[in-house]
Amino acid sequence: MAEVQLVDVEKRYGDFLAVTRQNLTIKDGEFLVLLGPSGCGKTTTMRMIAGLEEITAGNLLFAGERVNDKAPKDRDIAMVFQNYGLYPHMTVADNIGYPLKLRGVDRKTRTARVQETAEKVELGALLKRRPSELSGGQRQRVALARAIVRTPKIFLMDEPLSNLDAKLRVTMRAELKHLHHELGVTTVYVTHDQMEAMTLAHRVAVMREGRIVQLDTPKNIYSEPADLFVASFIGSPPMNLIDGRISGGRFEAPGVSLPVEATDRDKVVMGIRPEDLELTDPASAPISGRVYALELTGDSTLVTLREQGSSICARGPADFEAAINTSCGLAPKPGARTHLFDKDSGQRIDA
Amino acid sequence: MNRKRIYWWGERAVLVLVSCIVLFPILWMFLTAFKRPKDAYSLSLDFSPTLSNFVTVFSDPWNLGDMVLNSAIVASVTVLIAVPCASLAAYSFSRFRVRGRKFLFFLILSTQFIPAVVIVLPFFLMFRTLGLLDTRIALIVVNLAIVTPFVIWMIKGFIDAIPTDSEEAAMIDGASRLRVIKDIVLPMAAPGILTSSIFCFILTWNEFLFALILTRRDAVTLPVGLVSFRTERGDLWELMSAAGVMITVPIFIMALLIQKHFTRGMTAGAVK
Ligand SMILES: Nc1ncnc2c1ncn2[C@@H]1O[C@H](COP(=O)(O)OP(=O)(O)OP(=O)(O)O)[C@@H](O)[C@H]1O
Ligand SMILES: [Mg+2]
Repeated sequence: MAEVQLVDVEKRYGDFLAVTRQNLTIKDGEFLVLLGPSGCGKTTTMRMIAGLEEITAGNLLFAGERVNDKAPKDRDIAMVFQNYGLYPHMTVADNIGYPLKLRGVDRKTRTARVQETAEKVELGALLKRRPSELSGGQRQRVALARAIVRTPKIFLMDEPLSNLDAKLRVTMRAELKHLHHELGVTTVYVTHDQMEAMTLAHRVAVMREGRIVQLDTPKNIYSEPADLFVASFIGSPPMNLIDGRISGGRFEAPGVSLPVEATDRDKVVMGIRPEDLELTDPASAPISGRVYALELTGDSTLVTLREQGSSICARGPADFEAAINTSCGLAPKPGARTHLFDKDSGQRIDA
Repeated sequence: MNRKRIYWWGERAVLVLVSCIVLFPILWMFLTAFKRPKDAYSLSLDFSPTLSNFVTVFSDPWNLGDMVLNSAIVASVTVLIAVPCASLAAYSFSRFRVRGRKFLFFLILSTQFIPAVVIVLPFFLMFRTLGLLDTRIALIVVNLAIVTPFVIWMIKGFIDAIPTDSEEAAMIDGASRLRVIKDIVLPMAAPGILTSSIFCFILTWNEFLFALILTRRDAVTLPVGLVSFRTERGDLWELMSAAGVMITVPIFIMALLIQKHFTRGMTAGAVK
């Protein structure tokens, strides 16, 4: 168990800056999720923490001690690799048991531990197989089991559930949550799945082009995105972002006229989440348009309206029905949040 | 007949023709090895086979047994030294991004561009000074110098093909670099290393020029021994063929072994 600190950490590949002056403190026992589009430097950040990638500049501290030059094997880390990194010449059991073997755990304890861990990831029946005889999802679970077979100081998990089916993913997510509760090991976790991020994380770091753009609790990231990038990245379906301007205490855009508490200005983007909108009578609605598409998602219907080329999406009741092209109205639910951003800088405008 | 069939038959015909051209001398050598001297020059396949040639070459004055032993010792020791060294060197060249790495690798390969005849005299003088002429040690040293760069290059190819992911995983799991090599790299590169070993053995086994110049009586190897069947009384083809069979058979067996391993990949399943 340890606090992990990145101080002005930078990674260059030749001229290319993969991670830019990263400052990040992961508290002892914290579950931190790295979220961001492909290529933004999540894996690179992890690999630097693991010691697999040389740090170009800056310091990496574990529990206050500088570890830049410490070999990976001395960092007491367990990692799930994005592309698994299994040992193809070993059986599943030997793969999972290898970290224990290296620590001189005797064969009997090892076998028991491996069996127990394999059960957790539902691989109990496949222990004698080789990695080449497994499906992608099974391989990924071997990689996961190999990481959680022992209790390290730090867990690094690079999209550990990306290749599992929806059901198994939920099961494994709960398993990881429980494991973290039980062991309280500092964990850095990369995912593209927002549900995973929201349910597992104490804090989420949203990254873009090698920088952290927002670091906060899942709740705050969701309810108070720092800029347009985070606003559009978090949430599914994504937040509606409407170009317009503020005049006379109202946000004005084609088909939209909403009271806001902000001073008048041009070039404003308003954000409002689909789940914060409800369907109302078109005549008096602050937002109106024609029905463009209806998508039933199970517990609700996503209603997309179009007005002068811009579309806006709302989450309506599952039994909502309307013909395409009929006009329809939307209004923010009572107590719903709207977000205002500066169009040029992308930054949040706080009232 | 359509085009495809014509191609199919054409391809077979060429393959058969080339095989015949390549295999015929070898077949002829095998036949001659079992012929009596009087049949050696005849083209007829109608002769009564005998093993007497083999008895002759293994007894005085030819003593092929000594040469087999020399060849076997020189080739084996060369492989035993060259392959472990080359494996470690190949791993380093493949994995460590050291300054000047490419140039160093080029230097090692460039030794292969030097024709043997150019350096055989310096080697002769060197070993004469050291009093090592006509010894197996001299042959082993020379063969190591010839073969090691080649084996490094060959094994590097195999190691390059192994993804680094498994190695990185092992280091995270707590393995030192040497442990990674032992537990992960060697098992995965084993077919390649075995292939290279056999290649190395064959090269050394067949080496002629240096052995010819550096040996006289005690350390003579099989290829050099073969020449001694060209006597003032003419070429003793049946004996030469019998000795040729002795050289060829071990190589045949090894070639078969290589073939089996060439087809087997060891890296499947490591990554997505
Ligand atoms: N060895 C390398 N040499 C040069 N550039 C690299 C190297 N490794 C990564 N990069 C670059 O660094 C950037 C960050 O890569 P990284 O693997 O960290 O992305 P990521 O956030 O993990 O993406 P993904 O979600 O697709 O896994 C990318 O633009 C990538 O092209
Ligand atoms: Mg990645």
